[in-house]
Amino acid sequence: MSDGKYFSTTKRGEIHELKEELRSLDRPKKKDAVKKVIAAMTVGKDVSMLFPDVVNCMQTDDLELKKLVYLYLINYAKTQPDLAIMAVNTFVKDSQDPNPLIRALAVRTMGCIRVDKITEYLCDPLQRCLKDDDPYVRKTAAVCVAKLYDINPELVEDRGFLDMLREMLSDANPMVVANALAALQEIQELAGPGGKDLLQMSTQTLNKLLAALNECTEWGQVFILDSLAAYDTRDPKDAEKIAERVLPRLQHVNSAVVLSAVKVILRCMDVVALGPSGGEDTIKAWSKKMAPPLVTLLAAEPEVQYVALRNINLIVQRRPAVLANEVKVFFCKYNDPLYVKMEKLEIMIRLASDKNIDQVLLELKEYAQEVDVDFVRKAVRAIGRCAVALEKATERCINVLLELIQTKVSYVVQEAIIVIKDIFRRYPNQYESIIATLCDNLDSLDEPEAKSSMVWIIGEYAERIDNADELLEAFLETFPEETSMVQLQLLTATVKLFLKKPTESAQKMISAVLSCATTETDNPDLRDRAYIYWRLLSTDPEAAKDVVLAEKPVIADDSSSLDPSLLEALVSRYLATVAAVYHRPPETFVSRQRLAVTRADELGARKFEEEDGSVPGAMVSDNNAAAAAGAAAAAAASSVGDLLDMSDPTPMPAAPVAAAAVAPAAPRGLDDLLGGLGSLDMGGGAPPAASTSASADPFAALSGPAPATSLSGGGAAPVAGAGMSPAALSQLPTLLANPGGVSVQGRLVRQAGQIVYQLALRNDTMAPVDGLMIQTNRNSFGLGPASQVLAIPTPGGAVPPGSVAAVRVPLLIDVSKVTPPPLSTGLQVALRTTQVGVLYFNDAVPLSALTEETGSMEAADFLAAWKALPPEASARLPLAVPSADVAKQRLAAANLFVLAHRQVPATGQDAIYATCRITAGGVGQVLLELKFVAGAGGVDVSVKAERQDVAQLVFDGLPSVLLGAA
Amino acid sequence: MISQFYILSPRGDVIIRKDYLGDVPRTSSEVFFRNSKFWKEGDGEAPPVFNVDGVTYLHIKEGGVQLVATTRANLSPSFVLEFLRRICTIVKDYCGFLSEDAIRKNVVLVYELLDEVVDYGFPQSTATETLKQFVVNEPTVVAPAYYQAKPLFSLNKGPTGVFKSVLETTRTDGKRRDEIFVDVVERITCTFNASGYIASAQVDGAVQIKSYLAGNPPIKIKLNDDLLIGKRDAPYGLDARSSEGHTVVLDDCNFHEVANLDSFDVDRTISLVPPDGEFALMNYRTTHGFKPPFRLHVSVDADPNSEYKAVVTLKLWCEVPADKSASGLEVEVPTPRYVQRVHCDLSDAHASGGKGGPAGGGVAQQAWDYNEKGHLLRWKFKKCPGGSEYTLRARLTLEKPYGASLRSEIGPVNLRFTIPMHSASRIALKYLQILKKADKNYNPYRWVRYVTSSNSYTFRT
Repeated sequence: MSDGKYFSTTKRGEIHELKEELRSLDRPKKKDAVKKVIAAMTVGKDVSMLFPDVVNCMQTDDLELKKLVYLYLINYAKTQPDLAIMAVNTFVKDSQDPNPLIRALAVRTMGCIRVDKITEYLCDPLQRCLKDDDPYVRKTAAVCVAKLYDINPELVEDRGFLDMLREMLSDANPMVVANALAALQEIQELAGPGGKDLLQMSTQTLNKLLAALNECTEWGQVFILDSLAAYDTRDPKDAEKIAERVLPRLQHVNSAVVLSAVKVILRCMDVVALGPSGGEDTIKAWSKKMAPPLVTLLAAEPEVQYVALRNINLIVQRRPAVLANEVKVFFCKYNDPLYVKMEKLEIMIRLASDKNIDQVLLELKEYAQEVDVDFVRKAVRAIGRCAVALEKATERCINVLLELIQTKVSYVVQEAIIVIKDIFRRYPNQYESIIATLCDNLDSLDEPEAKSSMVWIIGEYAERIDNADELLEAFLETFPEETSMVQLQLLTATVKLFLKKPTESAQKMISAVLSCATTETDNPDLRDRAYIYWRLLSTDPEAAKDVVLAEKPVIADDSSSLDPSLLEALVSRYLATVAAVYHRPPETFVSRQRLAVTRADELGARKFEEEDGSVPGAMVSDNNAAAAAGAAAAAAASSVGDLLDMSDPTPMPAAPVAAAAVAPAAPRGLDDLLGGLGSLDMGGGAPPAASTSASADPFAALSGPAPATSLSGGGAAPVAGAGMSPAALSQLPTLLANPGGVSVQGRLVRQAGQIVYQLALRNDTMAPVDGLMIQTNRNSFGLGPASQVLAIPTPGGAVPPGSVAAVRVPLLIDVSKVTPPPLSTGLQVALRTTQVGVLYFNDAVPLSALTEETGSMEAADFLAAWKALPPEASARLPLAVPSADVAKQRLAAANLFVLAHRQVPATGQDAIYATCRITAGGVGQVLLELKFVAGAGGVDVSVKAERQDVAQLVFDGLPSVLLGAA
Repeated sequence: MISQFYILSPRGDVIIRKDYLGDVPRTSSEVFFRNSKFWKEGDGEAPPVFNVDGVTYLHIKEGGVQLVATTRANLSPSFVLEFLRRICTIVKDYCGFLSEDAIRKNVVLVYELLDEVVDYGFPQSTATETLKQFVVNEPTVVAPAYYQAKPLFSLNKGPTGVFKSVLETTRTDGKRRDEIFVDVVERITCTFNASGYIASAQVDGAVQIKSYLAGNPPIKIKLNDDLLIGKRDAPYGLDARSSEGHTVVLDDCNFHEVANLDSFDVDRTISLVPPDGEFALMNYRTTHGFKPPFRLHVSVDADPNSEYKAVVTLKLWCEVPADKSASGLEVEVPTPRYVQRVHCDLSDAHASGGKGGPAGGGVAQQAWDYNEKGHLLRWKFKKCPGGSEYTLRARLTLEKPYGASLRSEIGPVNLRFTIPMHSASRIALKYLQILKKADKNYNPYRWVRYVTSSNSYTFRT
């Protein structure tokens, strides 16, 4: 018997037939029917109308049938909670069934019904099941607590479920321990960074977890290891204890266990290093044990290898000693997927040392002769990077590059020239002898980067190349057609040539280039640079020499190095997570939204959204949306009335039609994004008249060629003003990258006492985009746009295809839209367009946008307030501040008013006391104390405020202020 | 945790879909399929972990289908990828085989399994053995259609040729067949430099067990006595005795959690209670003193008769013991773009002594073809007995006159092969004992097999 046959029926009366079969008294027939229903469900057919019939089959002692019905229910529980809740009575009954399998099934399924109403029925069975005799039921119940928390966090706390979960950490069954721990971790994450520490890791819990580690399934082991890694211990003895228990995990078959164990051990190394002896021997011993398992990961499937390699890349940056002798295992295999090869190359470069460079070079040379162009290019670059990084090996690297140039393969030659330019910049005046070889290959250059590199070399060494003028002249022939990169380089090289060898031909060339660059080009950069040179040369050639031929700083290979504080965070906190694969902090991609919990009166509305969401472009902004939502809500209300009366299942489809007229009166429970936009659109059919009022905004500026500033005055004046220059535009952080669609860049800033959203919208579609409106979701500060209509200063308010529109949206604070604590800087924004539907993106409100200009206070008041306020919250931020003065400047720029500054003689630290006021979200006055050693890493920050949750806000916001990024 | 899980057919249809957290839209499967099919950065494959619009997609491919998990959280990617692999194993164990067809025919069973294996995005118990008590559906065992046509050992890792559901062991109708398969599976990675010396070599091996023993009796396995495991046995480095080549030296190895290693350090025995289904009892890798099964010599010469021609001579030695032979050997020789045509002569210069057969028979075992589009010369063997030697003379017609650079533009030469009943590391199972005291008549089938195949076997030129 095969399930395949269930897919074959496609007859019209199928549903009716199934209905009959479901009501059949013949059990195998009934079972068959349910199987058919499930098969139909899988291929996407809507079989929800069979719900009452399927539920009727639920009351059976046949386990197989019961499981099938549950399978059906669990599927619809998610998408159609209104239906699922109809079965609630049976669930409650099943949760007391003598068979543990059924008890667990009931609790599991109930938790999946995301309706607030379900909680009334769920709490008691859940409480019972958490204390069940059977571990299978207990472990299922543990997960259910996390489900319930997602629906109603307060209830979970009130009923003491969190305490029960914590107790379960000492359960005799490891599976239960693992699930309880996973549930606690999940709840912690849902509660957000402001939530209190749920795990309350104590020595006692620690011991329990360590004991459970050996017994757990591999998945449970990962949960435990992750919580061990999060355990913040300062005691080297503790760390040693943890590491001793974790080290055997490195032998595990499961790569996830190995990587999580590595993460814990790296954490422990950091702690041990703080100890009195510095723990060098211990660290060495652990490093030795870590290497073979890491290497073994490379024998796994390519997917696992890729993840391992991205992590290893971080590990070798932080602790190079671990894999210093293993460079060979990172050599590429011919059948590795490209993404694995690229990662291996990166690690080979990092591990290259004077000892192994010969081996590495030999490999890289082989790769440079392979077929895959991308890989070959990267291999050639790698040789260059080795040369820049290892001084002793430079000559050997150059020889390999020269050999590769001899192959005359165009892209190899070009790539080689690019890296040789870098080598010249790293080791000036050492290897010019090879220039002649490079000059033999000028014909094969057709890529801008290679061309401009070659031109740079000619200009830089013009005095040693006999025919430099001829070579440049040849390049100049095509000057007008070149890309701006090459044009700029040609301009500079010609000036260098003229200054070094002021011959007649050079003079001719320079005047030709300058006149061409100043009169015949649209490129402002090129024109400006030409004007600077022109003016320099005409006023004072000697000064020109000092400027143009000045000594250049030596470069270092940092093309793929991470910012030290990011690296630190990635290694110590995010190793073995997705963040470590992307090499980006999790804030930049984690967009965990709490799901709206369906309230009984909104059931229908939710259903509607869900259907709509599946059609790209079609959004709730439709005029009918609110009407339909209201109608469905009314229908749902009636179904809830029937909730406990199973004998009379209301036929669902009829209700919405009947209730359609009630629409305007339907209460709008949610003040969310979609509702806001929807109602807005209901005001007028066409893009509304409101746009005229908003387009009066004087600051909105359309980007385009910057106003040409004449350079005759001597220096370029920055394009000032509140409007945004293209350069400023490009600096805005990307909020929504959507190649081929509409991308959004933007930042919240404070301007003249007002919070303003600077937005840049890039339209990469083929058609203009108009009807732009913006709305924000409720947030901690009650921020919302003053006008929802975006004032695009073009006819019709449209963004033409292929262009960028800059818009300035003033934000207002609406106290009624403030979300309850804890504070969160998160801001969810929706942008509506007529053409591409609604775009959603997340932003964070920077500290500097919130702090008020008038937020200072008297020093004496500060002192009094410091004493009066509740105890401070402290944290150590991984930052380096160059000096106290810089810090003060930056703080002041962000409206953090420095009241006092003193040196702490004992520690050599600088202490700065500052204050700020944030009215938004009712935060109030905030007092800060910053302690740091200038130039060294680590700033200790203490925060005092009326509200405790402000501290996290400051900790999150300070780094960008102190780094001057704001 | 995991927000969604789905299995996609090669055409992108959703075969199985589970939604756990509900924070990722249903359309994500289409977003995934589009992105994985047309990966934006070049024409390479999409990396196994990528992010589109705040949703992280993790995926693997097996049996022609794609298994995908989505999440919005910052979880451990290897955790998810390992978990997807495990789902593959579970499906294989229960349905006998993993393919689109097998899943479609066992939809309800797969859903039932998934419900036990994941709850709210958290992996639960994934041991085939434990799952048995929760499963009530019957499997429809599907053997792949092409199976009859292929040799017993294809290039896949793991025991092949067994398509059987673990649920069979619970049968009581007498048709049950108790058996256990223990396979030593090894994959060779080997690179030879231009002068024919080994530049790097590694063997990745595993002892794979697939057990269909009712009642799960304990078993005992013994490996070579002369086995040395790098860091475990010689923490201060290996001494001279091990480098002589009389011992089997492993660099690193790990064991499945069921393995009881109490006496492993004493007499190299492992006792275990094998759970149902397939699992790797032991994974190991070694770089020490193994003999490469193939050697190859490439020479490139000008043709004295025409400057637009060149002669490439490949000499291949198969150096496995004479009683073994490689199957499905393929030698791939990339040639430069300016090669217009290729014609080859085949001969086996010295057919191995004894049963090597007449020379003519040897030629019939070989074939060659030249792919003009990919500029790839392929030399194929049906069977290649140990100790034999073959030569291929290829006459290349060139678009430009012969130059010395041709030498370095041919290659690197890649070999693909499978050698049944051979372990390159010389690791061996000395005995496999099924310990069941009560019943003397209990004598299930025991299969011990070895297979060595190429992972990446490259000769540089």
